[in-house]
Amino acid sequence: MSRIQDIIELFSEADYQATLGMLLDYSESLPPLPEEFREARDAGFNRVAECETPVFVFVGVKNGAVDIHADVARESPTVRGFVSLLVDAFDGAPVEEVLSAPENLIHNLRLDSKLGTRRMYGLSAVYSRIKNEVKKASDSA
Amino acid sequence: MADYVHPEALVSTEWVSEHLKDPSVRIVESDEDVLLYDTGHIEGSVKIDWQADLQDQTVRDYIDKVRFEKLLSEKGIANDTTIVFYGDRNNWWACYAFWVFKLFGHEKCVVMNGGRQKWVEEGRPLTKEVPSYPKTSYKSPGIDASIRAFRDDVVKHLDGKKPLIDVRSPKEFTGELLHMEAYPQEGALRGGHIPGAKNVPWATAAREDGTFKSADELRGIYIEDKGLKEGDDVIAYCRIGERSSHTWFVLTYLLGFGKVRNYDGSWTEWGNLVKAPIEKP
Repeated sequence: MSRIQDIIELFSEADYQATLGMLLDYSESLPPLPEEFREARDAGFNRVAECETPVFVFVGVKNGAVDIHADVARESPTVRGFVSLLVDAFDGAPVEEVLSAPENLIHNLRLDSKLGTRRMYGLSAVYSRIKNEVKKASDSA
Repeated sequence: MADYVHPEALVSTEWVSEHLKDPSVRIVESDEDVLLYDTGHIEGSVKIDWQADLQDQTVRDYIDKVRFEKLLSEKGIANDTTIVFYGDRNNWWACYAFWVFKLFGHEKCVVMNGGRQKWVEEGRPLTKEVPSYPKTSYKSPGIDASIRAFRDDVVKHLDGKKPLIDVRSPKEFTGELLHMEAYPQEGALRGGHIPGAKNVPWATAAREDGTFKSADELRGIYIEDKGLKEGDDVIAYCRIGERSSHTWFVLTYLLGFGKVRNYDGSWTEWGNLVKAPIEKP
């Protein structure tokens, strides 16, 4: 089973408090953005425009595997936690695994019903952006 | 804060830091970000989430009186507790929670001026320790219908040519956008505003540091520029009624308008109603 399927299983069985706890853990464990991407971030490149919270994603494909790095403000732990979850699921995964990840991931993780749809917009924008970037990077690889 | 009409509705960060252990005070954090409280909060404060705690999960409405009483009892809030609300984004969601608590008739509610941002910028401490308080038997004195407008009230308001304040962004007001900028579409079929409404984006009332502007500045915005008059009966709305609760607070407590209602159905109701009149420039 893929990493994202494992995570979906974990979240779909979690109650409200456990879901918040897992997202919080994720928000605290997002790896720092590697030095090589910081200049681009500071210049405002690679920002997900649709998300009100500043979210920066750097996606590439190396030898058929996805290479993904991200940065999100600590003041927005929910978005940061979700992005960290995606990094955990997708960094190093085969391209096909990311491209075939469910379109309605947020619903499969039960985040919409637990946190409210109002909070899901930024998250779905980040998710679409990452999938699109993986597609683009694999097409040009 | 002295020249506000009801300065007693606000407390400073300093006042809060001096009342952290005051048993007659309960501090409530209410944020847009559901995890922010969990990353660190003011010592002794409890979390109230506008979505999970205050909304009914099936019907588009707030929780009922019984569930509100249960919620407050569990948070150790008594009928005579002074509740201090604070939160992220200029106290946007803190004002929303304040409004809902007022709807259920809680008497002693105050807002910490500047919210979470000011507290953090002043270098005041946060803790991850979640407090627990002895359970109370809270009784809501009853619903205060005078601060909530439903769509039929808005129709009557329009017939009476009474003032409406639309607190959304200018592009939502003109109908160019159906939602907040950077927030995707949230289910309104038509764009524009309720006829006659004046546009004052909610955050106009806040300073950079998250505190409210001075009474003079606020009078300049709502009275001199937008023509509200003393004694006016005002309805404020936005998209789902949360940004407008911030303006409701400003008009009611800082400027002292006696009859201000928040239309929580707001644009996601009005912009979907068949035959509802809409103005577009």
